Amino acid sequence: MQSSRRLARAPPPRTLFTRLYSSSSSLLPANGAGDGAGSSRVGGVAVKQVTRGNLAEALEELRARVRDAAFVGLDLEMSGVTSAPWRDTFELDRADVRYLKLRDSAQRFAALQLGVCPFRWDPAKSAFVAHPHNFFIFPRKELPDDISSHEFLCQTTSIDFLAKYQFDFNTCFHEGISYLSRAQEEEALQKLNVLYHDGIASPNTSEEEDVPLRSTADLLFTERMKIKFKEWRDVIISNPRMDNHWLECNKFSTHQFQTVFFKMHPAILLNGFTSHQLKLIQQVLRKDFKDLMYISTFGEDNTSEKRVVYTDDSNDSVSLMKDLQEDLLRSREARVKSAVGIRHVIDLLASERKLIVGHSCFLDIAQVYSKFIGPLPSTVKEFALGIHKILPYIADTRHLMSASDSVQYLMRQKSKSLSSVFSLLCPAFHSTVAEPSTLSPVRIEVEADETMLSCFASGAKHEAGYDAFMTGCVFAQLCDHLDVKFEHLPPRDNLAMNNKLQKYINLLSPSFNSGTSLDLSTGMERPDTGYKRRYPTVLYDNVVLIWGYQSELRPRDIKDCICKVFGPASVTTIFSIDSTAVLVQFSKQESVNDFMDLKAALEKTDSAISVLHPLSTILEGGKTRAANYDTYRDICGSSVSKYFFADQAEAVCSSSKSLLKCENIDAADTPGVILNESILDETIPTSEKHAGGTKNVSKKEDDSEISCQDILDALQDGKALFDKRTRST
Amino acid sequence: MAAARAAAKQVTKRNFPEALQELAAHLKECDYVAVAALKTGAPTGWRRALPVDTAETAYLKAKLAAESFQPLHIAVCPFRFDATSHSTVVAYPYNFHLFPRDELQLGMPSYSFSCQTSYFSSMARDGFDFNMCIYDGISYLSRVQESLARQKIFIPHLRQPSPSPSTTVADSVFTTRIKSRIQHWRKGYAEPSKTADGSLVNSLRKLILGGESYGSRPSMSIDVCSDRQVQLVLETINRVSDDLVPLVVPDKAGMSRAVRVIFTSSEEDKNLLLMDIQKLEDEHSVKFRGFREVIDLLSSSQKPIISYNCLNDLTMIHTKFIGPLPPNMHEFTCSLRMVFSSVVDVGHLWREIGPLRNAKNIQAALSYLQRQYFVPMEIEIPQQDGTNSVTKGGENVLRITKLFAKLSMLLKISPKHQSQSGEQHHTVEDFCNIFYPGCMAGESDDVDCTKEPDITRTVSTDSVIFLWGFRKTSAKELRYLLTRLHHVFSNDFELRLLDKTCSVLIFRSSDTPMELLREISSESPSLNNFFSEGLKAAGFDVYWKVCRLGLWDSDLAEALEAVSSEQATSALSGHGTSEIYWNSSLMLDIKEYLEC
Repeated sequence: MQSSRRLARAPPPRTLFTRLYSSSSSLLPANGAGDGAGSSRVGGVAVKQVTRGNLAEALEELRARVRDAAFVGLDLEMSGVTSAPWRDTFELDRADVRYLKLRDSAQRFAALQLGVCPFRWDPAKSAFVAHPHNFFIFPRKELPDDISSHEFLCQTTSIDFLAKYQFDFNTCFHEGISYLSRAQEEEALQKLNVLYHDGIASPNTSEEEDVPLRSTADLLFTERMKIKFKEWRDVIISNPRMDNHWLECNKFSTHQFQTVFFKMHPAILLNGFTSHQLKLIQQVLRKDFKDLMYISTFGEDNTSEKRVVYTDDSNDSVSLMKDLQEDLLRSREARVKSAVGIRHVIDLLASERKLIVGHSCFLDIAQVYSKFIGPLPSTVKEFALGIHKILPYIADTRHLMSASDSVQYLMRQKSKSLSSVFSLLCPAFHSTVAEPSTLSPVRIEVEADETMLSCFASGAKHEAGYDAFMTGCVFAQLCDHLDVKFEHLPPRDNLAMNNKLQKYINLLSPSFNSGTSLDLSTGMERPDTGYKRRYPTVLYDNVVLIWGYQSELRPRDIKDCICKVFGPASVTTIFSIDSTAVLVQFSKQESVNDFMDLKAALEKTDSAISVLHPLSTILEGGKTRAANYDTYRDICGSSVSKYFFADQAEAVCSSSKSLLKCENIDAADTPGVILNESILDETIPTSEKHAGGTKNVSKKEDDSEISCQDILDALQDGKALFDKRTRST
Repeated sequence: MAAARAAAKQVTKRNFPEALQELAAHLKECDYVAVAALKTGAPTGWRRALPVDTAETAYLKAKLAAESFQPLHIAVCPFRFDATSHSTVVAYPYNFHLFPRDELQLGMPSYSFSCQTSYFSSMARDGFDFNMCIYDGISYLSRVQESLARQKIFIPHLRQPSPSPSTTVADSVFTTRIKSRIQHWRKGYAEPSKTADGSLVNSLRKLILGGESYGSRPSMSIDVCSDRQVQLVLETINRVSDDLVPLVVPDKAGMSRAVRVIFTSSEEDKNLLLMDIQKLEDEHSVKFRGFREVIDLLSSSQKPIISYNCLNDLTMIHTKFIGPLPPNMHEFTCSLRMVFSSVVDVGHLWREIGPLRNAKNIQAALSYLQRQYFVPMEIEIPQQDGTNSVTKGGENVLRITKLFAKLSMLLKISPKHQSQSGEQHHTVEDFCNIFYPGCMAGESDDVDCTKEPDITRTVSTDSVIFLWGFRKTSAKELRYLLTRLHHVFSNDFELRLLDKTCSVLIFRSSDTPMELLREISSESPSLNNFFSEGLKAAGFDVYWKVCRLGLWDSDLAEALEAVSSEQATSALSGHGTSEIYWNSSLMLDIKEYLEC
């Protein structure tokens, strides 16, 4: 139980549910024949596996499939979901905070697999025909001048989870397809253009510094080269008509000097020289041979080739240079284009404007945005509108499920994970489940390309391709429950245009516990009607964030301390972010400032009051910090990543200008503090009336006995007084 | 290289226990242990160790690297010089595959880790088996994590009854009740009933007697509510019969919840049971410690650790297997010494040989030795079984072994226990615990040993200025720009770009930078051109603070900006100056740190 409770907090919706229920449901599809017909109970589903090697052909095929499709299932497998336990989305997170948390996840983790499954309606068979594709992704550095660091985070539990489902990491890291986002591609092309126009792209850097000839070996080498090049040039000049025959019988061809033609010019291909020797050669050419050019180019397999080329005159050399530059630009452009890689799939989906179907797909969509479009925007609204422009129709089966009453009835008491919904709605694919076949009225067939069987594998749970297929199947059944009829659906028609579906599409739940859905077309988030909240609605203005207290303190203790000071009903909720920080919601908004002021005052004074005050339990250690909800948002939005929230908060506040913000709230240097000090002063005489010998008191009251209760009373008085005063001001 | 091609034993969680035993035996008979780790990445940009780093900032950077990246593979190779021929080294290389799996469901050892695609790509090129590593890698907990885990997870265990003080009436009542219960229960098994009962009666009896079974053996649980009661139950059981084995069952908070009494049918059966329990406990320890057993073995063997890029590897070992890294170098070295008393960096060793000083990596050093010196050295690897294969990490550890062997011949280092008196011999202690923070980017296999003049010099941190705010430009252009901006830049200085946003200027003396910083802080009008270009500058103290605060997530310029704007008021407050070894691979001497 302990472990499942821990899980319930740690991994996000999808992983969470599948993990909790994967053990109870032994519903892994049985490996069977390639093409499973919807009606027969065949478990195996042929999923096309796409890696670097077969991307180009797979793309061509996919393009045609998507064009014919009624809708497309989509799924991603990622290297992790949350970068720290406190970055889990909580039910009581404000929408902007939740988005920042999801944005952090989408940015930090890598997408390892992309599953795309077009579903075509075949009126003849009156069934859907699915073509599941599974793309392996690995964000390799493809462009040589790309200096951005390609770093991604792995969440240990996620990786281990994938390993449990036999995820093939070798294929992924060896053969995965890389990508450039639209923003990265644009930047790369722009850089090329700048290079081209500035002429820096010239393959021959002109202003070389002289290499001092340091040793006799250098001197001898230089002399030898001089003689060699001179001889070669003399042969060319004396022998103006050269042909291939010349190439073969040329006596200069050795292993190191290979005579070749380069763009119709006689040339020598240099082999096996050290970089120092190459520098010396360049120097020789620069000094003694105006008509010989040193040209370094990149060959097929990205190895650099160095040549010495003979040019007739300076015009010839200029035109050769220009030619070379254009070549270079073209080859670099081609390289950028090929580096776009897996993003072609997303571009394809975007240009076909088909209905995209995912299951709990907010994070998947955010990943798509961050990896293939550009950096995620800072607000959820910009994100929604941004993605809406590119993928105009997105449906979330999770949302559809909550929309259909009959499905909700079916799903009562059941897990909402993809695999369990799939086994419920599409029992045909589960040989083990004997549900009445009426539950699966929409027939689905999987079509595999017979000729290319080698790259097909039988799909398994948590492989993106198979998950995309399952999502699509679930979607088809849900549509049936929502009374969307396919019988009259013309082939190639986009399901996104269906009237009955209109009100369900483009609505995504940011997380399983958000209780809201985001309308992608407007960027507005609104509460879901069906969602049962575990916590009352939060008034964010009444919330104080506290961290840095002693580690043995439990949230309950903190609540008790605060209640002692502000009254038993003062705290509405206390929510622990992780073991190092809590969010406290006061019932009254004033209490927030009162708490901050009191904290600041207690920290400033060094009297018995500050030691024995009930709040001192929280303040003990002197590192306790408090801030308002906006600071919490800033901390969640920061790029810093620490395991504990307290460390994160410290790092964020010490590094950025939000330091000022925290301080502002902490040390209110406004009348509040002065008032508080006076309160403390006033309370001391009250306590002095009682004699006694508490040890930890300050110089003033060495011989006065103070019982805790007295001080408490005094403070309550003081507090009341303070309240009165602040109200009157 | 024949030696490097030789195979190392591949260890995963499947064969870990056997390999551990073998390793322990090999460690005992060896003189040194070479260690090399293969990680998921290394810091890039200004976060890697730079020539401007002092020992302290280099440590902070190594700390960052150790904390964010994950070792996937650690090669350990105990070796010794062959007793008969000194040109033969007998080595036992092991490749341990690691994965920080959360075996105990406690969120340990590591919640997440960073990976660099370039590292993964090159590992893939070298044929690294990621599936083997992730599916079957050995997990671990650091010492600190283990003690945390032990507070959270408890398993039933044997406990010896301690002699109890006087008994109270309540105690004796409790004891009597328990005793009769146990005896009654035991009778059911010890004295087989005369009548042949049916299975129904048997199971009914089981139900009534509250019997359970422990494996195939009958057992019963006695609930207890205090440690005192545990003692009483244990004593009672001892007194009842020898064929009963008590197991203390703790609850989630670690308090004893019940005592489980297990009935054994004979003396042999009892021994068997005790062995089973012991085995279970051992398995649990493996879950707790995992690969760390290897580190503990290395530590307790007291053999000198031979490594390359020690600062990086040992900070990593410390944070993954010992405990969190302390905030500064001094505490780190103290803490590390408690675990490994002597660590030798081959990088330091080869710098003892003059011409080798500029070798950029192990490969270069080895090939230089090959060409210039005659040091025959064969590596003999006696162990042979089917699991051996070559991997990059394994290759590295053998290279380190070979290089160390050759160097120790040249430098006349002899293992501790063999040091002859008469002759002039060094001991390995003379070279240990001196770390070079590797400031070379990445581990290239470039063997090109270019001869650059040795321009290592010591520069005071006072003569260093960090400059940022310039537009994209080359070092040369920037230099030209600066000379036109202010007269201090007419002095001789060196300029290097640290990342695309920030450059560092090294002056000959500390006066010029001081003057510049003073003028900047007083916003002197002579600097108008400087300011209008948007240029900013700060001294080393700001950089140090950036490292201390760990502002690693941004460009250097951004980080310096954040700190210097905050520090504006307290600028020029004299921090102690320290020294950097400019333009060289820097050297830190741990001994120096321990004395201060």
